[in-house]
Amino acid sequence: MMLAHLPVLEVLVPLAAAPLCALLRRPLLAWGVVMASTTFALGGSLVLLFQVLSNGVISYHIGDWAPPWGIEFRLDAANSFVLVLVSLVGTMCAIYGRKSVEREISPEAQPLFCTLLLLCFAGMLGVTSTGDAFNLFVFLEISSLSTYVLVAMGASRDKRALTAAFTYLLVGTIGATFYVIGLGLVYALTGTLNMADMALRITDIGDSSTLRVGFAFIIIGFGLKLAIFPLHQWLPNAYTYAPSMVSAFLAGTATKVAVYASLRFLYTVFSPNLHFDAQVLQTLFLPLGLAAIFVASGVAIFQSNIKRLLAYSSVAQVGYILVGVSFANITGLTATFLHLFNHAIMKSGLLLAVGCVVYRTGSCSISTFRGLGHRMPWTMAAFVIGGLSMIGIPATVGFISKWYLVLGALERGWWPVAFAMVAGSLLALIYFGRIVEAAYLQPSPEGNKVTEAPLSMLAPLWVLTISCLALGINSEFTVSSARAAANALFFDPHPGLSMQVGP
Amino acid sequence: MRHHIILRIAAQLLIPPILLFALYVQFHGDFGPGGGFQAGVIFAAGLVLYGLVYGVAEIHRVAPTHVAMKMMAIGLLIYIGVGFAGLGLGGKYLDYNVLLHDPMAGQHLGIFLVELGVGITVASTMLVIYQCFSEHQSRDLADDEW
Amino acid sequence: MIEGLTPELALGLTLLLPGLGALVIGVADRFPNIRETASLLIATALCGTVVWLLMNYLAGATAQLRVVQMLPGLPISFFVEPIGLIFALVASALWIVITVYSIGYMRSKNYPHQTRFYICFALAMASTMGIAFAGNMITLFLFYEMLTLSTYPLVLHHETDAAKRGARIYISVLLTTSILFFLPAIVWTWWIAGTLDFTPGGILTGKIEGPQAAILFALYLFGAGKAALMPFHFWLPAAMVAPTPVSAFLHAVAVVKAGVFTVLKVGIYIFGVGFLSETHASEWMIWVAAVSLIIASFVALRKDELKARLAYSTIAQLAYVTLGVSLASVMGMVGGVLQLVAHALGKITLFMCAGAIYVASGKRNISEMRGLGRLMPFTFGAFLLAALSIIGIPPSGGAWSKWFLMIGAADSGQQVMIGVWMLSSVLSVAYLIPVVARGFFLPLQGEKDRPQPQGQEVSTISQLRVREAPLWCVVPACITGVLSVLIYFVGPAIAEFVLPVLGP
Repeated sequence: MMLAHLPVLEVLVPLAAAPLCALLRRPLLAWGVVMASTTFALGGSLVLLFQVLSNGVISYHIGDWAPPWGIEFRLDAANSFVLVLVSLVGTMCAIYGRKSVEREISPEAQPLFCTLLLLCFAGMLGVTSTGDAFNLFVFLEISSLSTYVLVAMGASRDKRALTAAFTYLLVGTIGATFYVIGLGLVYALTGTLNMADMALRITDIGDSSTLRVGFAFIIIGFGLKLAIFPLHQWLPNAYTYAPSMVSAFLAGTATKVAVYASLRFLYTVFSPNLHFDAQVLQTLFLPLGLAAIFVASGVAIFQSNIKRLLAYSSVAQVGYILVGVSFANITGLTATFLHLFNHAIMKSGLLLAVGCVVYRTGSCSISTFRGLGHRMPWTMAAFVIGGLSMIGIPATVGFISKWYLVLGALERGWWPVAFAMVAGSLLALIYFGRIVEAAYLQPSPEGNKVTEAPLSMLAPLWVLTISCLALGINSEFTVSSARAAANALFFDPHPGLSMQVGP
Repeated sequence: MRHHIILRIAAQLLIPPILLFALYVQFHGDFGPGGGFQAGVIFAAGLVLYGLVYGVAEIHRVAPTHVAMKMMAIGLLIYIGVGFAGLGLGGKYLDYNVLLHDPMAGQHLGIFLVELGVGITVASTMLVIYQCFSEHQSRDLADDEW
Repeated sequence: MIEGLTPELALGLTLLLPGLGALVIGVADRFPNIRETASLLIATALCGTVVWLLMNYLAGATAQLRVVQMLPGLPISFFVEPIGLIFALVASALWIVITVYSIGYMRSKNYPHQTRFYICFALAMASTMGIAFAGNMITLFLFYEMLTLSTYPLVLHHETDAAKRGARIYISVLLTTSILFFLPAIVWTWWIAGTLDFTPGGILTGKIEGPQAAILFALYLFGAGKAALMPFHFWLPAAMVAPTPVSAFLHAVAVVKAGVFTVLKVGIYIFGVGFLSETHASEWMIWVAAVSLIIASFVALRKDELKARLAYSTIAQLAYVTLGVSLASVMGMVGGVLQLVAHALGKITLFMCAGAIYVASGKRNISEMRGLGRLMPFTFGAFLLAALSIIGIPPSGGAWSKWFLMIGAADSGQQVMIGVWMLSSVLSVAYLIPVVARGFFLPLQGEKDRPQPQGQEVSTISQLRVREAPLWCVVPACITGVLSVLIYFVGPAIAEFVLPVLGP
């Protein structure tokens, strides 16, 4: 019985746990609830992924109202893969969070923090699972609104978190509004909100200016959410001033979910057969992605705040993902999904490592890192491995991503793009080299008594680090899942409503 | 507030009907226009009026913030709980048909409870927002300063 | 011979032993004697395993090992083949020698962080074995990068500003070339050939042609930055800031040889000799290598610091191999393999001698080494033997490699290259022999500068306190020096050994 309802329980358990946290007064209990529900989500998402991979699409009708009238949770290989990613990062951050947040947020506010974290988590899972375009908006707002507050809660460490959160709120709201406007136009045209149904009707109706405008609004709306290159201005500040654990969580999930959602629209709702859709991929995503790789990486080199540096690096990595999308072939799409997953693992790992440093030193500027290689050996070793992965050294997940990105470019015959991508990863070499040199080659300041971070923070950090290595040495799981995800979007975007099988 | 007798009397006259109307909108919602969201706002409007007339301290005494915040969570839990009840009774999530033996009655009960949850959450949320902002007031004016 | 040891197991052991060694060394951090004994034992065991593999191979037993699927269709796999065996044998045998030398050198200099030094050494060795026995390009690439990373702390060993600068250049050039050229080349090969397995005769036949093949070949050659082909050679002189054992081993044996080994593998197993010569894909690389060779020789001539001179000499000698492969003739390839062996033995001797001179006298510059030969006859004797081999005077190891390379040049109609080699030989005489000649025949520094009364020479020497370096340093150098000559007598055997995989 549980299995049949798993698609909805996956989202609902964290969603129900959120108000429960608000009722609890003891932080420890609240954290227990957070860990339990995220772990449940992780287990559930893995079960769902294997179910989808072996049995095909799962469709769950909320309230037993058949789509297109009722809300449908629709899991195919693409979104169940993203579910695994979100819940994995969420679980690791939840385990990590208790100690880290203890240092940064007052005990009274902690249950509230847990509530928001779970809301955000549930919202992202909801965005990923739902097959209803308006329901997607609702979940998007649940996750976004709670994210704004989570970022603002960094204010107890640094007041600038407030302005960062406010900027994020403005930009994020504009993004969401654009999405709704676009959706409204498409709804006016098709009269349905179910994505699969919408897709069928769009194919029937064909190209029109209303459709184009709706499409443009939707893509720009998501573009703001996923920090597509010139629309990324909110991201560095938000990541920098948010509590450490929130930065790690958001870096691994928020932009990834937005990328997934835009892929869902680009491939499922609209289809690359439509002229303008394919054009956006080539004339918009490719140049913007490449620009992101070089500009953001270039900016990252000059940052002295490590969290900000990693934030810019995230913008650059979104660039890689966009370039992967722009190939519009199956390898490119596989690379996109691979990089979604791999980047989430490595960037969250890196930010968790920075969080350990913040926990011990209270700062994350590069000067704090001096000599930490000897004082916090485990933390810095994880950081180095994450850095190597970002550069794309073999035996790390970063290499696997890069391999498929280059392969996708070659299949398209885009030589310069292939070279640009590998050249971009060398910029990562520069900015990680700086940190590594500081950590290992410069003496720590006089009287520095920093010690290694506590085990409950190191454990999740190393789980991510080891999976970064293990999935780099044996990429069977990620590559086959990513390929299935790409196939689901590319070849079989909407198998048709008639083929739906309820659980 | 002794001096503002008109305000006091008007408020005394207005608040009970407002709250009552809120309940009407709430419970009649599944037959006519209305529902939990609107009812919650109207109910909160009644409380806010009370706070405006009798002062911030008074509204905190009548409906303390921490209670309101609990109510927010409880309302949401009622909503989700109804959904889970549907699951537990063998239906889909938020399937009202299975709540009672008669699907029709089940639908009624389901929507009633869900709207109640929405109403509680919306009312308490509005109230907390009002309280949060009103707390920032530097001090209450004394009566003779009006 | 040994119960239960199958070739597969032995192949696995070659990779595991150095890794295990690193672990043991790490555990024995506080006990230098145990640590260094462990190093020596592991090195000996490794060399024994490789010899055992070689004997089995000669008896007809090959081995293959597939570990995990790194990418779908691309497993991390290992197999035994002649060139890899030769490379592994040279590297593992020299590891023993250099461990002995390191113990003497590091102890006499009393350097800090010695445990880290031995750990990284063992890890570098593990990577080298991985490269030597790699069964496909992706495995080779994986260990190639691991070698870069594991040697970075070695180059950085002194942690001075100069060391930091050197190490920064080292790692950035090697990573840049490998990511920028090597990786795209591998992906490209995979895309067109659908496999990356090392196959005698190549995997590209009929899959690529004309200028594209030439570009791919160039990507590989420049991508293997460890082969130090100009203009990506400058990491090599920069890496000379490392302690001498590191320079000797890594920059004469493991790292640079991994580079040229990669080039050989690409020429033989990816492109295939026949395909290369048909498409003329490598023709223009001949000239790149030749120019690199000549320029590096001239630069070497002008360097006063002995290690820098040796570094440039290495660049020139590595270009021999690249050139040999680019000639796209069977004999050229054979010459390349022989050059790999001969140069490894010769150059490690030269570096060890340079280190021994530094340990004994504290001198780095050639101009200051006047007369030292008479005080350190064994060191300078070994230097002379190795120099002869590098120059290629028979009977020494280098003679064979040059012989085959020249035949290769003639075979593929590149007679000009014979001239290039003759010129480079002359140049290597000019930059190596004076070191020995000054050492033996010029008066000791200080004798002329300061007016000394007659009969005071002995006291000057004792004042300088220069005598032969510790036995730990001198004996290894003498052994490899002698070996680099003796290798002359097995040259044809090696050639015969590798010939079967080179195709008709």
